[in-house]
Amino acid sequence: MKVSYNWLKEHLPLELSASELSTHLLKIGFEVAGRERLGPAFTGVVVGKVVSKEKHPNADKLSVCVVDDGAAKRTVVCGAPNVDAGQTVAYARPGAVLPGNFKIEGRKLRGVESQGMICSRAELGLPKDVDGIWVMGEGPALGADVGALLGPADDILEVEVTTNRPDCLSHRGLARELAAYFRKELKPLGGGMMESAEASFPVTVEDPQACPFYGARLIENVAVGESPAWLKTKLESIGLRPINSVVDITNYVLHDIGQPLHAFDADKLNGSRIIVRRSKKGEKLPALDHKTYDLPEGLLVIADGEKPVALAGVMGGEDSAVTTATKRVILEGAFFNPVEARKSSQKTRLRSDSSYRFERGTDPEASRAAADRAAGLILQIAGGTAAKPVEAAAPRPARRPIQVSAGKINAVLGADFADLAVKQALRAIGDVNDDGNGVEFMYTAPSWRHDLLTANDLAEEVGRFLGYENIPYRMAPMSAKAARLTPVETESRRVRTRLASLGLWEAYNYDLVSEKTLLACRLTAEGQPRVAQPLSEDWAVMRSSLLPGLLKNAQYNLSRGADAVRFFEVGKSYAIRGEEVDETWRVAGILLGPVLDARWQPARTPRASFYDGKAIVEDLLEGAGPIAWAKLTEPGAGKTPSDPLFHPANSLRATINGMPVATVGCLHPRAARAHDLEREGAIVFDANLDWLAGRESAPARFEDFSALPSSRRDLALVLDKATPYARLEEVIRGCLVPELQSVLLFDVYEGKNVPEGKRSLAIRLTFGRFDRTLTDAEVGAAVEKIVAALAYELGASLRG
Amino acid sequence: MTRADWEKSYVSAESALREAGVENADLLKLEEVRVRFLGRKGALTELLKSLKDLSIEDKRELGPKAQGLKASFDDLIDARRAALEDAGDAAALEKDAIDLTLPSIRPPKGRLHPLTTTLHEIARIFQLMGYSWAEGPFVEDEKHNFTALNIPEDHPARDSHDTFYLQNLPLLLRTHTSTVQVRTMESQRPPLRVVCPGRVFRHEQIDATHSAIFHQVEGLVVDESVGFADLKGHLQTFLQKLLGASTKTRFRPSYFPFTEPSTEVDVKCFFCPGSGCPACKHTGWIEILGAGVVNPAVFESIGYDEEKWSGFAFGIGVERVAMLLHGVRDLRHFYTNDLRFLRQFDESLL
Repeated sequence: MKVSYNWLKEHLPLELSASELSTHLLKIGFEVAGRERLGPAFTGVVVGKVVSKEKHPNADKLSVCVVDDGAAKRTVVCGAPNVDAGQTVAYARPGAVLPGNFKIEGRKLRGVESQGMICSRAELGLPKDVDGIWVMGEGPALGADVGALLGPADDILEVEVTTNRPDCLSHRGLARELAAYFRKELKPLGGGMMESAEASFPVTVEDPQACPFYGARLIENVAVGESPAWLKTKLESIGLRPINSVVDITNYVLHDIGQPLHAFDADKLNGSRIIVRRSKKGEKLPALDHKTYDLPEGLLVIADGEKPVALAGVMGGEDSAVTTATKRVILEGAFFNPVEARKSSQKTRLRSDSSYRFERGTDPEASRAAADRAAGLILQIAGGTAAKPVEAAAPRPARRPIQVSAGKINAVLGADFADLAVKQALRAIGDVNDDGNGVEFMYTAPSWRHDLLTANDLAEEVGRFLGYENIPYRMAPMSAKAARLTPVETESRRVRTRLASLGLWEAYNYDLVSEKTLLACRLTAEGQPRVAQPLSEDWAVMRSSLLPGLLKNAQYNLSRGADAVRFFEVGKSYAIRGEEVDETWRVAGILLGPVLDARWQPARTPRASFYDGKAIVEDLLEGAGPIAWAKLTEPGAGKTPSDPLFHPANSLRATINGMPVATVGCLHPRAARAHDLEREGAIVFDANLDWLAGRESAPARFEDFSALPSSRRDLALVLDKATPYARLEEVIRGCLVPELQSVLLFDVYEGKNVPEGKRSLAIRLTFGRFDRTLTDAEVGAAVEKIVAALAYELGASLRG
Repeated sequence: MTRADWEKSYVSAESALREAGVENADLLKLEEVRVRFLGRKGALTELLKSLKDLSIEDKRELGPKAQGLKASFDDLIDARRAALEDAGDAAALEKDAIDLTLPSIRPPKGRLHPLTTTLHEIARIFQLMGYSWAEGPFVEDEKHNFTALNIPEDHPARDSHDTFYLQNLPLLLRTHTSTVQVRTMESQRPPLRVVCPGRVFRHEQIDATHSAIFHQVEGLVVDESVGFADLKGHLQTFLQKLLGASTKTRFRPSYFPFTEPSTEVDVKCFFCPGSGCPACKHTGWIEILGAGVVNPAVFESIGYDEEKWSGFAFGIGVERVAMLLHGVRDLRHFYTNDLRFLRQFDESLL
């Protein structure tokens, strides 16, 4: 809200600078977001009279004038074509300072000494009216300061008023707050109604709950015109555009005392009557903002005998607006239920200074006085005669006093304010009824304070006025249980630090994605929650997987020169389930490019492959139980929303105890192509963090290892290319050789010396016992058994 | 052999030894010299062998002399050999030298996101002060996001919560982590001391200082006889741990429907000496969090006995803290995942 400091001072005498005032406002909860100084940006300019004007001897376009500034007559060279003898002008004496810190001094112009300058409005930083100098017209005394004539300088403050304080949404309201804080008296409110003729004018309120008070006053024979300068200056100072005297007066009263008013042209009202009722189906309102609104059924409107003429408390109709042609005015001063005003404003998406105040709550007892004040000003400025107001009022419930004590307030604040100080603070903003017998007393809030209902509300008032800085710093003693993390947070920390140590960067992506993004990843938006009114199509769907975001991150960084991209993200995926939305914590990642940061040793920098991704998932699942791997297409692999994004042949699902918990694989070529990743060989993974967090975990158990040396045997086996390595291990373990300690694959070879369609797998078998060293014969027998089984089960032969 | 013969051989061996050139011999020559004197037919070997032909007295006298000669010969050879090995090593080591200034070869580097580290740091400090971690869903209903927090449907305070509602479902994306206050109180009995960090959503156009998705850390304490003074104590302690022991705080009145009294907390600008700069919008103070004493209306909607329990709550914007701590001017960086941005944050630096 824009506040004029001069205007504020009309209600409360204050000796503070605008910046000091801002500091005080902040202390009582009103942030001042901005401050602007209005007024003359010049000094030393006085009213002068051009006594004579002659052509400059050495310049065609200059004149030599003699200016009388009341004290002396001086020669001034002037270049303006409109300067002439006899004009009253703004004369800058030598020593004057014009906007832009332009100092005026006596100087020679083409050989003629010029003592000062005759100014244009633009040169004074004022709105321009005509080209050339400012001709002021008769009136001001010679030598009078032009700055002072323009009115005193003003400071305009942008004050932020929180939604609980609608009572401060006006100059008087804010002055009242400051008066309470400074313990000063508000100046009495001038004006008011001067005369009232008897008149009757039918006003009907159909729903007194929605409109507890409605007052309408007829003013006849008005002459609506331009507002006087003081009124226009006031409105302009807070950024309002003057319209005509009657409209300006209602706006002025709104910003002066906070009561929104509305003026109708009585002759435009059908049937010369006012009905406050609910809108009916199909009704429209062409409003003052030149737009026509389709009114939903049931909004509170002001209607004449025929149609709505205003959306109650929000905006008047264009057809019944007061114009300079208006002769008879009906002035409305009402109290509308805040909920109604808000509903009307929200449903029509129409906001106004008026609705802003009504929906927050105006002072129900100020409606009449405000209308009186406006009527008085109309009579004064636009003339006419006023009838007595016609009112429809519902009985208002009495305000309930709050029982409170200084002790209770101090308990809320944790402070030790004296009884007297507490009561004094509250007296400044309401009635304190203290019978003197005991510590408790009754506080009753004034009609404009809808926000004071409980002891906590009063504690805030006391805190504000006595100063938050006077409340001590205290540490509540610990009585809650020892601090702990949730299982999901514990697990997500493990996962995050593990992945970062494995060389992945943590990414943060949005939970909302576009349908296009999902499609580019071969995912569907079907079954996904959507937001009702997205900011844009890019933000329409809640993600089913973290991977689309990570693919974009990879594409983004590659296009900006990165050659290795390793990202992970911990976040939620969403799915609709009935009337609910399922949220699942997941962790996903993408790898592409060299796995080692060793560019200058290219031999050591292979690019990330499926097996790097597999290692990461194995790390993530460490300790979670035995992993069963299956291709996504295999029965038992289960399904996840991310599946279509994976390469169907080159991806695996990890299942633990029958539960699919993670997927790792190459990117589906189509998803890769859509992200310019087709040549990058990107590896992606995705795991269910909720499952990881919820799994049983126990401390690792130590198992003893043999102190005796073990024996190793290396075998090179030739098998069908199509035989998976896992089968080989399976068959070896199936031999149940108890001395077999480990199987290690150390070479995979196909090509020269290996038949077409075959490959050679080199493995190292390690044997050992706890109680003794194995003999060569024992090891040989075990190897023979294994080789035989491999030959029988897989057709494997020993190479060369 | 007579003693005279022996002594003659001794003198000639001694002089031959002197002239053998051990001092300048290379390893090959050194072996040749050694064999020449100590080999099977070597001069020294012969000399030692022929001692047996002498009388006991002569043996006793000349034996040690011969041994002495041999020992000094051994020393000479050993010393030369050691010298040659040292020189050889030095040359070989010199030849082995590699360029140690080449860049290190490292396993790939990865780090946590600066919002994670900031959020963890905030939570860590509160954890030390006894606050447990609490969580709640991101998709919420009106009750938990608004109504239970004393923000009824027609309350103008809803204007400051531009809300994403879901299509065809009576649900919304939570606009603040205060929802978790409600969920925590629904599921636990006081006393409580929790932080609720997490993601929140606002229907707001994205620019350098606004994001439609951002993170908050909500805090809630419920106990007996807790007041505004405890809020001040806890938050001042937190801010001084986060930003440094000399951090100055300012508590000024504000309004939130779910707290009463309410406050916004500023810290003295740490970019300028209070004279004003763009970071503090020329006020000398930086707004860092909102807080207040829990409004008894919230306890009432939860079903806590508002006569017995009191509490305070606060909310901190994680992005805002991260921006201040790291001097990031544009919020969008946090969600672009540009490696050139992410590489600048080592979690050990917070």
